[in-house]
Parts: sequence; C-alpha cells; structure tokens
Amino acid sequence: MSDEPLHEPQQALHVEDLTVTYGGTPALWDIDLDIPPGVMCAIVGPNGAGKSTLLKAALGLVRPVAGHVRFLGRPVRAMRGLIGYVPQRHSVDWDFPTSVLDVVAMGLYRRIGWFRRPGAADLERALAALAEVGMQDYAQRQISQLSGGQQQRVFIARALVQNAPILILDEPLAGVDAATEEIIINLLKRLRDERRTVIVVHHDLTTVQSYFDWLVMLNVRIVAQGPMAAVYTPDNLRTAYGRQLAMIATPAAETPP
Amino acid sequence: MTALFDLLSSGIVQTVMLGAAMLGAISGMLGAFAVLRRQSLLGDTLAHAALPGVCLGFLVAGARDLGSILFGAFATGALAALAVMLIVRRTTLKTDAALGVVLSVFFGVGVVLLTYLQAQGGAASAGLATFLFGQAAAILPSDLWIIGGIGLAALALVLAFWKEFELVSFDPDFARAQGLPVTLLEALLTIMVAFAIVAGLQLVGVVLMVALLIAPAAAARQWTRSLAGMVALSSLIGAASGVAGALISASARGLATGPLVVLIATSVVVLSLLLAPGRGLVWQAIRARQARARISDGRVLATLHGLAEAHRDAGYPAEKGMLETALGAMPPAARIASLERRGLIRPVSHPPETTPHWEMTEAGHAEAAALAGEAAGSTRDERP
Repeated sequence: MSDEPLHEPQQALHVEDLTVTYGGTPALWDIDLDIPPGVMCAIVGPNGAGKSTLLKAALGLVRPVAGHVRFLGRPVRAMRGLIGYVPQRHSVDWDFPTSVLDVVAMGLYRRIGWFRRPGAADLERALAALAEVGMQDYAQRQISQLSGGQQQRVFIARALVQNAPILILDEPLAGVDAATEEIIINLLKRLRDERRTVIVVHHDLTTVQSYFDWLVMLNVRIVAQGPMAAVYTPDNLRTAYGRQLAMIATPAAETPP
Repeated sequence: MTALFDLLSSGIVQTVMLGAAMLGAISGMLGAFAVLRRQSLLGDTLAHAALPGVCLGFLVAGARDLGSILFGAFATGALAALAVMLIVRRTTLKTDAALGVVLSVFFGVGVVLLTYLQAQGGAASAGLATFLFGQAAAILPSDLWIIGGIGLAALALVLAFWKEFELVSFDPDFARAQGLPVTLLEALLTIMVAFAIVAGLQLVGVVLMVALLIAPAAAARQWTRSLAGMVALSSLIGAASGVAGALISASARGLATGPLVVLIATSVVVLSLLLAPGRGLVWQAIRARQARARISDGRVLATLHGLAEAHRDAGYPAEKGMLETALGAMPPAARIASLERRGLIRPVSHPPETTPHWEMTEAGHAEAAALAGEAAGSTRDERP
C-alpha cells in the first residue's frame, strides 16, 4: 500500500478534481488545491461554502464522488497518525463521563495499538500536551465542567499529543474568548515555526490577515488560493462572499496607515 | 426470614434469579454504550422487531427451543437494523421516523404471526405469547448456559476493545480520522446490543425490553465520573433489579417478574435523577437555594456597609425602611436572623424611632469587604 508511487510529494496537501455532493447538490465542485508544507493556512468562505466538508473529504470522513487527495504525496489511509485533526467542538457530547486527561490520551489510542491500555508514559505525554495549551491543572477535571474555550483547548491537546507534522482544525476559534483565542493562535504559530503545516477553517475575516500566511477562499468552488498578500484582495473577497461582504469586512483595509 | 430462606432454596426461584441477574447485568453493560451513543431507540426497534423472529424460530423448530427462537429473533432484529440504515441513507426520512416505521411494521408482522400460530393450536404455541411481556418462570436451567455464554462473550469483547469502544462512543469522526475501523466497531456494538435484547426477551419481553437497556445506564450515569464506573454500575443496577424483581415475584402470587424488574430499575432511575450528588435535582435545588441566600445576604451586608461609610459611622443604625428601599424588598426574616446569628449584624433601637434598626458588627464589615473583593476578582474569568 505504501509502495504506491508518490504523487505531488512536495505539497503538504494536494487535492485534485474533488467533488462532494449531499443528495445531488454539490457541496464541493471540482476543487484543485495545493497547500505547501510549513504554512499556516486559513480556509475561509461564506456559510455553506463547504469548508468543513473540504476538511472531512480530505481526511476521508466523507466519500467524494470524484477526485483524489494526497498528504505529502500519500493517500490519507497511509498517513493516519501523521495528521492531527481537531473537529468542531460541538460535534461531541461534552456530558460524556470522562476526564480531561482521558480525552487527550485518546489521541494516542492508535499508537498504543489494539488490546492495550494507555500506560504511564502515555499519560505523561498527554499531560505534556495539556501543558502546551495551558490546561495542565484541569487534567483530572470532568469534561462536562469545562467552558467552551477550555473544551477547545482540550481538543487541540488531543491532536498535539500525536506530534503530527500536519494539523487540521475545524473552526478552533468559534465561540472562544479573546484570551483563549490568543493562546490558541500563538500555539499554532509556534507549530508553524517548527515547520509543521497548520490548516484551519476560519470564520473571522477581520483577523485572518494577521493570523495566517496562506489563504484558501472557498465557495463550493475554489475562489482563490496562495500566499495571504496575493489572495486577500477586494476582488477575491467580493467573488467569494458577494453581497454578504459589506457586513463582514472592509476589503480596502490593507492600505497601510 | 424463614420465608426468604425457603424461597432461595427453591430450584425454580434460583434459576429465575440467576437468569434475571445475568440478563440485567448484560443489558446494563451494553445499555451504557447504547445510551452514550444515543442509540437507545434503536434498541427499542430491535426488541420489537425480534417478535416475528421468535415466531419464525418456533415455526422452524416446531417447539419452544430457546436456541432457534433466539436465532430467529436475532435474524429479524438484524434485518430491522439494516432497514433503518437503508431508509436513513436512501430517503429523506430522519432517523426517528425510520425507527418508528420499522418498529411498527416488524412488530405488526410479529403479532399477526403470533395470532396465526396460536389459532393453529398446539400446547407449545400458547407459550409464545409470553415473549410479548416475558415470563421469567419459563427460564429453564439449560437456558442459563445460553444466557451465560452471551454474557461472557459480551464481557470479553467489551474488555478487549475497551478503548476503541470508548473513542467510537465519544467521537466517531476523530476515531475515523485516526484510522480506526469505526463502521466495524459500531456494528459490533449494535450486534452485541441485539444479543442482549434477544437474551432478555424471555425475562421482560419485546415490549419492555428497551427499559432494561436504558434504565440501568441512565441511573448509573448520575452517580459516576468515568466510563468504566458507569458500565460497572449499570451492570450492577441491572443485575440487582433482576434479582429483586425475581424475589418479589416469587414471594407473591400474580406479580409478573419482567415488568417488576423494569419497575424496579425505573425507580432506581427516578431516585438517581433526584438524589445523585452533584447531578441530582435535589442537590441542584439545594445549591440554587444556597446561592440565592448568599446573594441576598451579600446585598444586605453591602447596603449596611455603604450606609455606614456614607455616615462615617461603623455602627450606623440602618432603619428597616431604608433597607427595604435600597434592596427593593425586605429579605425574608430567616435571612436576617441568620445574619444576626453569624454575628455580622445586630438589631438595635434608635430612639425616638420605634421601627426596627440594624447596625453592622466589625465581623460584618470585614465580610462585606471580602465579598466586594471576591466580586471584583470573579470578573477576571478563565485565566489559563
């Protein structure tokens, strides 16, 4: 399986001709996408643009009707464990009876393997990952007692504990307070500086320029992709967001004071 | 006491008790996963869909043979689960509607088959109706081996795939992104639930089976903080309900075991919802009451403290009417009495006025200052 010849190995994520439909209507249409390694990339687009679907299709969680996806030249099934995934916080039941540390340890279950339980060394690593997001004091806490921002940080720790070269985060800043947002963004920037690839679905156009260095604009099709300065233009924003734009951001804001 | 001893030494009662205990434990254990995965209603559909299988198994075997009856029940249950899955995937119907449709169609077919078989006559076919509401007394010593076998197999699987089942129950998307065979694991859990249902049919019947699956898990969730604790306690509650139901049923005439087991398990749920520390309604009510009292006391202290400061007189006697105006309404007498008891305020007279007055003690001033500091601190929320 891993003997397959590499396809576009110079790209952290390479997507070609990807089309996903939900009951006949295309959620993603003919996506061609390349994200180079070591960038911090935002995927933006209006509601219903298919941002989450793109992540899920890339990770093999939804089946595309056409197209293929490669991470560092390999199909996703050969890259399991090398991609850290942070799903949307609301996708799980936070009243599940478990502790913060146990949730983070779930990121190691694949490495631990079948029929074995997490050992002391595994819990040690989970604690270290919690410390990276500033949650080490909450290790034994029930997850039902966490605030939204804390839940998000626990989810990020669960992805960090894999020590993966590629991280994929679905709206990690949705519904978190300013202090948590700063912690998360600083952490992601540090990961980028370690030459890891960070791919984030982002919803806030006012911060996208200052947080990220690579941008993908999506609205069912790819509107534009590339380095932030080249892509964040009034024309592209208008194409992606249309009339919604006036309410979201002023596209001429990039002129320096 | 001797009556209980007589009961326990009866072979039939022992068989029923052991069977009920094992069935309760199995459904408790697997029900915990079903409840956490929000699959309780799938359990109800599987249980009702088992009825046509029971009849078919009887038809094929030509007698009340537990093995073939259970196999038939399992087969139609699996068919029903498949039908639900296909309806949800291929049509615009949502899961709840699909579950309802499949449940009623399969149950309808089952009842028709049942009445047909009974009209055909034969002594054995009369016993089939017991599968509607269960008849624990019909459990034979040889059945215990089948029930025990199912229980051991389920326990072995749960222990072997513990962390995988945990992850799939909590976050299936993440599990899939990790490369776990999520569909296979979910199917395994559903098949085990189907086995538990099929085994439990004899005890509680198709109509009430879902209660035996949900009730112990719902009760256990109230008391525990970990998945292991929940699964263990849920099995225990299931087993205890089974034993208690069997005992009560054996000690009085005309009380059916299965429904008793369900009623006992459900009472445990009600008690747990009310009393469980932290999560129980009673605890929450007490905590809300305490919070209200704390806020009310704090406002009284802050008002007196403010008045004393405004008058540059630590022992300023505040009149009842002033407190009433400042607070919008006079706090209940019990709260004032409690503040007096704690030595934070003390009643004083302030002639020539005849109305009640209170002044603040030194401890009261200290408490008011502490509360003010706390309030200022709590606005800095969520520090890392």
